[in-house]
Amino acid sequence: MRILKIMPEKCTGCLRCEIACSYMQTGTFQPAKSVIRVSPFEGHTSYAPYTCPQCAEGWCMTACPVGAITINAAGAKDVLDDTCVGCKLCTIACPYGTMFYDPDTRKAFKCNLCGGDPACAQACPTAAITYDDVPTVDWLGDFAAERTTRLLAGVR
Amino acid sequence: MPARHLIIGGGTAGMNAMRTIREEEKERSELTLVSAEKPYSRMVLPYYLDRSIAESHVFTATAGVLAEWGVKAHLGRRAASLDTKANVCTLDDGTTIAYDDCLIATGSSPVKAPVPGADGRGVHSFWTLDECRRLIADTRPGSHVVMVGAGFIAFTILNSILARGATLTIVEIAPRILPRMIDATGADVVEAWLRKHGVTIRTDARLAHIEDVPGARGSKTIRKRLRFAKGADIVADVVIMATGIRANLEWLKGAGLRIDQGIVVDDHLRSTVPNVYAAGDVAEGRELISGASVVHAIEPTAQEHGRVVGANMAGRQVPYRGSLSMNIVEVCHLDIASFGAWDDPKAEAVTGVKSDRSAYRKLLWTGDRLTGAIIVGLSSAIWTTNDIGMLKGLVHSQVSLARFKDYLRKNPFDIKPAYIASKATSKLLPQTVLGRPSKAPGTTPVAV
Repeated sequence: MRILKIMPEKCTGCLRCEIACSYMQTGTFQPAKSVIRVSPFEGHTSYAPYTCPQCAEGWCMTACPVGAITINAAGAKDVLDDTCVGCKLCTIACPYGTMFYDPDTRKAFKCNLCGGDPACAQACPTAAITYDDVPTVDWLGDFAAERTTRLLAGVR
Repeated sequence: MPARHLIIGGGTAGMNAMRTIREEEKERSELTLVSAEKPYSRMVLPYYLDRSIAESHVFTATAGVLAEWGVKAHLGRRAASLDTKANVCTLDDGTTIAYDDCLIATGSSPVKAPVPGADGRGVHSFWTLDECRRLIADTRPGSHVVMVGAGFIAFTILNSILARGATLTIVEIAPRILPRMIDATGADVVEAWLRKHGVTIRTDARLAHIEDVPGARGSKTIRKRLRFAKGADIVADVVIMATGIRANLEWLKGAGLRIDQGIVVDDHLRSTVPNVYAAGDVAEGRELISGASVVHAIEPTAQEHGRVVGANMAGRQVPYRGSLSMNIVEVCHLDIASFGAWDDPKAEAVTGVKSDRSAYRKLLWTGDRLTGAIIVGLSSAIWTTNDIGMLKGLVHSQVSLARFKDYLRKNPFDIKPAYIASKATSKLLPQTVLGRPSKAPGTTPVAV
């Protein structure tokens, strides 16, 4: 299965992925409605995009009481808008923090790999996000662990 | 001869068990369901109450699905007794069903406050579809609805009652709202928010009596007067009792199962009688973090229990890692969520409040790990949703946060860097409940 491969070292924090994602997902150019989210590290000197890893369990999908989350043709867990009632159970079942809720539509939404042509990967000018046939892994953990030392310095 | 599986209860646990049996089995078994009601999801009844969905939307298995799954369904019937020596279940109409193994997933029933008048007309519970229909019929724009009990169930229908144009008063016997879901500080934030949104709240209110208010001559509607141990009476058009639930276990007297808080189950969700499983609200099983034996009467536990039982009934040996307490409810666009041991007096607690934004975080630490969390915040704020999911992940994964503990103590609202840098994702990705990738609902292959 092709998934979103994220190489945070290449991310410049331009937020084009968030703009493209929010437009694809909700029809608005509104980063707050993007399901890929860029986080700053080390005082905004480096950045990394974070999104649903399309995990094997699909905690969101198994939790949904009305079967509103399914697996689409691209292999992504996908919310069926007509079936979702907006109960938010998926937002507490998902342990990755990648289920979202749109208060305007009262529906849950998430990364569905844009059905097989992810807008974030298309929009990324540095190929920090690519759509590749690789196993899903924790793309950000090591990067973030190295880049939180300044955040943590002087905390005590 | 194919195995004969009996599923008693058509709620979340029972439905997940049946689907998983059909997913896992090599050879088609005989599958029998006993369910007092046509299977539907109680979770979505609030959305039927406010009419944002049609009634047909609540059903989890139509006759067609049950037929496709090859389920012999006894709908509208209740199990009356279980003979675990003869492996026979007797229904309330005298029908007997022989089984090779069975699942008890009979769920819970609402309990009304034990006061005179609680059983009278116009005093509702909100638990079943029938009760939901009656509440829809009785609640009109301008109705004054009084909800007795300020717990999770009450809060799940708070938005729906307001959406129907009713005015709402909540009375609670405890000194604060949501006493079993969040702590006192969080409850203060929520209470202030609800008052701002026109909800009347009366805590420390011990209901003493409910009586009919004599109506105008010929009037068909009944108004209700609620009298309290102290303080003024309240007159209501509709009374809803949301005063707790009790597991449906009475029918198992004499069945020979060990029952403590619930039916005691092992790590494969088998009761003390090995071919009898229990799941959901009636089961007392392993808790994820502590390993203690607990009842978690919540939807996610019923779902996971049901799937693990289904796999084991189909012949696999799937241990259950344990359930995690979790709840979320949204009231007037304010999210309220809690996870794990949010009320553990032995845990080290770190809190942050932003009263002007109605935001609250409480992180509960046991050593370097988060063992509980409370989150309150505006639904429209993206950081609320982010923190809800990531705090869930930190509690669920039990990843070490040693490096971040001091930082989070000072910055309890900045969860994300800690989540990502602690590599919770690495720890979570290999985890599955059944030891394999989950299948999408509706794509269950039916073994022939």
